[in-house]
Amino acid sequence: MDNMQQQFIEAGTLMLAGMVFVFAFLGVLIIFINTVLARLAVKFPDAIVVPNSRTNKKSKSHSKSNGDISPAVVAAISGAVKRYRAQHSQDK
Amino acid sequence: MDSLIKLWFSTGLANFELGQVVMMLVGCGLLYLAIARNFEPLLLLPMGFGAILTNIPVAGFSEVGGLLHYIYYAGIDTGIFPLIIFMGVGAMTDFGALIANPKTLLLGAAAQFGIFATLFGAIALNYVPGIEFTLKDASAIAIIGGADGPTAIFLASKLAPELLGAIAVAAYSYMALVPIIQPPIMKALTTEDERKIEMKQLRPVTKIEKIIFPLGVLIMTIFFLPSATPLVGMFCLGNLMRESGVVDRLSSTAQNELINITTIFLGLGVGSKLSADAFLNVETLGILALGAVAFSIGTASGVLMAKTMNKISKDPINPLIGAAGVSAVPMAARVANKVGLQANPHNFLLMHAMGPNVAGVLGSAVAAGVLLALVGG
Repeated sequence: MDNMQQQFIEAGTLMLAGMVFVFAFLGVLIIFINTVLARLAVKFPDAIVVPNSRTNKKSKSHSKSNGDISPAVVAAISGAVKRYRAQHSQDK
Repeated sequence: MDSLIKLWFSTGLANFELGQVVMMLVGCGLLYLAIARNFEPLLLLPMGFGAILTNIPVAGFSEVGGLLHYIYYAGIDTGIFPLIIFMGVGAMTDFGALIANPKTLLLGAAAQFGIFATLFGAIALNYVPGIEFTLKDASAIAIIGGADGPTAIFLASKLAPELLGAIAVAAYSYMALVPIIQPPIMKALTTEDERKIEMKQLRPVTKIEKIIFPLGVLIMTIFFLPSATPLVGMFCLGNLMRESGVVDRLSSTAQNELINITTIFLGLGVGSKLSADAFLNVETLGILALGAVAFSIGTASGVLMAKTMNKISKDPINPLIGAAGVSAVPMAARVANKVGLQANPHNFLLMHAMGPNVAGVLGSAVAAGVLLALVGG
């Protein structure tokens, strides 16, 4: 009987120590996330991915079909339009 | 005539003992649960088959020289298989939801109360004639409440190898029964209005946070609980392989081929412990009962913690996600989502429940480390 009582006391101590430790450990982890990780997130935000026209032909054709034209194409077309208008204004 | 008699005595029919037949039926029961009911089939199928193999008379699968004997001693007695599986689980785990809402770590911590409360139950069972659990046995049984198979097997192999078979069967059976065990407890402890609570959308988590997180967890474990580093270390290694993005082949291997191969051997190895003399006793019934108690207390304490946090926190917290703190990834999170949808069809809690769910994995690994440190020495 004494042995059982002793075991219950040990189990109680284990429960108390275990729960305090689990809460303390995960509590410190919360502080770690809210301080270190949150600061890192602000300092090193994820880079915005720009589709690379040279490496992926598929995405190029996909972006065209969506009407999402690459800046190089826009620049070429604007240049051509400018030249066309300039020529036409000279003709007049 | 002598040859015929010799041949007869070498057959299974002549050598069968009742206990072996019963254990083969237990093995068939596990196969039924895996195949017909889809209960944790990845582990229960090889485990059930291992139970059949180990009880074949004369063949000696689990004796020195037998296949299952070597599988058990190479992978489970050494603790290697559960650790490799933990690495694979780490490679499959996305901590994004947890990092976005770190408060949910407290839910993962609260759900571990199931483990520690069950210690009392295990000791109390010593009043039943035929049951004699030491504190080491009680700790190995109580870890079932963590609802984490590899952790349960790892701790049982260290603290109470003779109870490993029953503990593994109980742990995986209850994990499979999460959708049946948890909802009544969740509903009993929450009001309809609480179950309808919609939570704030989670913030996006950056890549650098996901990379530093496993390293931070590992450093903390090294500092505060080195006895948990085998489990936490392998888990963090798997997670770092996933999040670093530079070793996709290794990450893919850890979460597919390696974990699958190990699961086959782990199942067979655990099955080899399902022999008649080790399983057919009153203690097994006690372990199965305590497993259910541990699971239920863990679920209840997670829900109650979430209820309390909802009252204190400025952002609303649906108490149902507290039940996911018992780990059992991702089943417990799915159950929280399902019960939430029953109350409010527009309320999707899955991502919110994944936070406490992965916190529960960390929590049960920490609890196992505490038990190893305090009882295992």
